Amino acid sequence: MEADELLVLVAGGDQKAFEELYGLVSGPVFGLVRRVVRDPAQSEEVAQEVLLELWRSAARYDPGRGSALSWVLTLAHRRAVDRVRSARAAGERELRVARRSNGPAFDQVAEEVEAGLEREWVRRCLDRLTALQRQSVTLAYYDGYTYREVAERLSLPLGTVKTRMRDGLTRLRDCLGGVA
Amino acid sequence: MTTLFRRSELHSLAAPYALDALEPHEHKRFEKHLRRCDSCAAEVRALREDAVRLAWSTAAPAPAAMRDRVLMAVRTTPQETASGEPQARARAERPQSRARRSGFSPFLIPLASTTAAAALVVAALFGVQAARTQDQLDQERAQAREIAHVLAAPDARATAGRDANGQGISVVASASERTAVVTGAGLGTPSNGRVHQLWLMLPEVKPRSLGLLDGDTPLIATGLDTNATSLAVTVEPSGGSAQPTTAPVVQLALESVGFGE
Repeated sequence: MEADELLVLVAGGDQKAFEELYGLVSGPVFGLVRRVVRDPAQSEEVAQEVLLELWRSAARYDPGRGSALSWVLTLAHRRAVDRVRSARAAGERELRVARRSNGPAFDQVAEEVEAGLEREWVRRCLDRLTALQRQSVTLAYYDGYTYREVAERLSLPLGTVKTRMRDGLTRLRDCLGGVA
Repeated sequence: MTTLFRRSELHSLAAPYALDALEPHEHKRFEKHLRRCDSCAAEVRALREDAVRLAWSTAAPAPAAMRDRVLMAVRTTPQETASGEPQARARAERPQSRARRSGFSPFLIPLASTTAAAALVVAALFGVQAARTQDQLDQERAQAREIAHVLAAPDARATAGRDANGQGISVVASASERTAVVTGAGLGTPSNGRVHQLWLMLPEVKPRSLGLLDGDTPLIATGLDTNATSLAVTVEPSGGSAQPTTAPVVQLALESVGFGE
């Protein structure tokens, strides 16, 4: 069964359907959260929170507003970003310093990518973006920086960052094609 | 920092929004705008799907233990309806029997499945996500975090019990963390302003109050004694009592979740 159908059953309290949904989304959810949060123990905690939230709030999924997988991963991304932002706000400065000295985020992406067709494609497509498009997109999505922080880090005007983000995502879409 | 945006400026926030890269105040403002702007909603939907492609490429197998913990938690976690209300309130018209004390037996049961029909009806009535206050959301999120934290303990286990009238409690507990998340199920609200109070039953000493149970809002009990034998719920006067003044309406043994000895 597709995630969309499963979510409807889950909203009705169907635990079997939730198990099946878990099989479909736990890998992407965990991988994404770990990519953003980094710390393994915290990643597991956030991923668990997200998966449990799927159970609790499945009824809030509205098929008219996008695919089920996109809803799930959007939720996972938000929670992951919340976690890194509050960790940063709490003054985990060494984290920030470590990241800054590591250079642009894409190098980290490149280091961490493992084999996998989708991974390979995304990487290839990220390569085709301009450096500023790529950095604007990955600093926000993979590192959880707001566009204002991205602008600051890249020493760019806010308007430029917003445009680079949009162009970057659109170009990524053209490169990856419409098929999920 | 500007807090007022012109329309065109609002439009330009679609990409940062899709990447979750807006500051909280901008995020709120943009979501408000989204509700009135169909073309923005369509654009955001497309940009979100693009962002999600970035997510797919990071997929990694989740730890096996996490699966057990999440599936276990699901057995004891109440679900929301589409309107955002906990389900207990959506089935207020369920007939209530007063014969509470008879035949209470603990067993593992999918607590949420009994409310499935109610959830489907409510989901159908409220197709759209209803407005929830930020406070409600924050509170729910804080709770979810607490529960996730208990679940993350290697010895976390769940149990639940309810009587023939569907009244009971469900528990996720970790003896090593000395913490339990307790949720009431079908308890309803006692009449005359009385309350449900949760007690930790200990061998050879008086019960210890863990606080008041409010509907199906999870109660997080910390600092539990590891030799505790059971949890009990009694009906008490408004504000609760120092010691139980009535016989328990619900009692649940803690042995299966690693307490006692």
